[in-house]
Amino acid sequence: MSHVIETKKLCRSFGKEETLVKALSDVNLIIEEGEFTAIIGPSGSGKSTLLQLVGGLDEPTSGDIFLDSKKISQMSGTELSDFRRDHIGFIFQAYNLIPVLSAEENIEYIMLLQNVPAQERSKRVKEILQAVGLQGKENRRPAQLSGGQQQRVAVARAMVSQPRLILADEPTANLDSHTGAALLDMMKQLNEKENMTFVFSTHDPMVMERANRIIKLHDGCIVGDERRSA
Amino acid sequence: MLILKLALRNIQRNRRRSLLTVLSMGGGYFLLSLMLSMTEGSYSNMIDLFTRDHTGHVQIHKSNYLDRPSLFKRINNSAALIALIQEDPQVVSVTARIYGPSLAYGKNKTFPANVIGIDPQRESATTYLKKKVNQGVYLSNGMTVNGYFPAMMGKALAKNLHLNVGDELVLISQGVDGSIANDIFEVVAIVGTSESYERMNVYLSLNGMRQFLSMGGQVHELVISLHHHSLAQKFSENLQSTLQQDDLKVSSWQQVEKVFYKSMQLDKKGNYVSMGIIIFIVSIGVLNTVLMGTLERTREFGVLRAIGTQPVGIFKLIMLESLFLSLVSCFSGLLVSLPVNYWLTVEGIAMPQPVDMGGVLFESMRGEISWFTIGVPALVVIGSTLLVSLIPGIRAARISPLQALQAV
Repeated sequence: MSHVIETKKLCRSFGKEETLVKALSDVNLIIEEGEFTAIIGPSGSGKSTLLQLVGGLDEPTSGDIFLDSKKISQMSGTELSDFRRDHIGFIFQAYNLIPVLSAEENIEYIMLLQNVPAQERSKRVKEILQAVGLQGKENRRPAQLSGGQQQRVAVARAMVSQPRLILADEPTANLDSHTGAALLDMMKQLNEKENMTFVFSTHDPMVMERANRIIKLHDGCIVGDERRSA
Repeated sequence: MLILKLALRNIQRNRRRSLLTVLSMGGGYFLLSLMLSMTEGSYSNMIDLFTRDHTGHVQIHKSNYLDRPSLFKRINNSAALIALIQEDPQVVSVTARIYGPSLAYGKNKTFPANVIGIDPQRESATTYLKKKVNQGVYLSNGMTVNGYFPAMMGKALAKNLHLNVGDELVLISQGVDGSIANDIFEVVAIVGTSESYERMNVYLSLNGMRQFLSMGGQVHELVISLHHHSLAQKFSENLQSTLQQDDLKVSSWQQVEKVFYKSMQLDKKGNYVSMGIIIFIVSIGVLNTVLMGTLERTREFGVLRAIGTQPVGIFKLIMLESLFLSLVSCFSGLLVSLPVNYWLTVEGIAMPQPVDMGGVLFESMRGEISWFTIGVPALVVIGSTLLVSLIPGIRAARISPLQALQAV
């Protein structure tokens, strides 16, 4: 298995001097291809910060981040944009779909950025909509979909460009347990079928049940790393 | 293109605000178009009246005649020149004039008079002189039944000399041969008003004038009327190079009526300041709308950036939205301004009192519909909208995806 993510002595601090807060301290981490990893820990432990750094949305105070052996911690803003577009899929807690675009258009958008030909785009959108169980709802706008359906669109958007890594920040937090479980099962299936790497930041026991690796964070440090067979 | 869809749908997202912005920008377009139409139309009307009154669109003289007129600065081959000029399809008519400042005498009174020799037929095709006859009959080339050359007099001069149609008029001047020129003429018409350009003029036929001044076939001035006054500058430049005669100067009406032209240009510049104020007020409203629109969507921009949209993509989106808004505004402004400007062009606004400008009376203010009065307001509205959208556009493009995602 190849390393998808590798962090070396990763630190992230906020504020200065007396108000300095260390969100992450010397985090060394390797995530392998195809892992379904849950990063857990109490609020303020640094879960989201770690995901933001790995996703190239934030810059580390010190240390290095490698994604597919590419050092992303030194990339420029434009390079990072392209890198996120081509290698990372994001699933947010609040779905964060574009409200004026339909489900289909939200999914298609990233492929437009990648200049995927129209025919190929259409084919992939159909396939992914079927995979997430949203056939017949492709023309609905986010406001016309339930929370669970919106999160399915978000999952489809994250996966449609077939990125190496999908980062999900508390994806089930706004969903009821039944919808959350169904969504997680769907992601797990896609993970197994497509061998995509998923990293979750979560408090949700349902995510932990399905994860084949659980990393515990506390006060910005890794305090546990458990691998298990799913 | 999804970005076009996105821009259009973003505009429709807050319809009331978009509508207000369109109304404000459309109103700006309407006001600008109206101002330009009135300015251009009124000046066009004014220029037309001015040039058709006596100046013509282009004049030809001996060099330096306009600055220092002289009896002896004469054009020799006027008939050949008229024939050459008349061949140009832009030319409506050409006429020749001879000037001779004189002393006019009648009924025991003497007054200085500006005596002008004209070709009656050509002059009536070039200027409004024939239409200005308010007593008697228009000038002819022949002699009167009493054996005199006929003369037309300006109203003020006729009044000062107590002369009427049928009376004898004595003119005294200097002949081109150095002799004292004097002759008796019969008044056949009174022209113009006490304030109009020809108030102190006397008009004779070219034959009568030449005999009076002992002149050959020469003239002092050739006046050319074109299909439109806007053709004058280019036409005069071309004609000057065609003539290839250094001693002849071809001047457009802008050069002949320098003072009028300069004051017109100055007035137009004053109008541009008013237009600038209108567009400034409209732009502030647009800036507010675009800023509000981008602030409200900070989180969305964060998402777009997070999933890989380049900053330039966000910038393009905002500029496209502004472009659509300004295009819709211009179209709505055009729909309203076009009938209004059409009415102003056809009917105009009658002035309570005719305005006298250099002896020419203006009775109504008119509008004008042209690419200039339609296109310039559109360019100004679109340009200023895009300009004020630069600030929110750059701000949104430079946003940090993380900070934007954390925005409430």
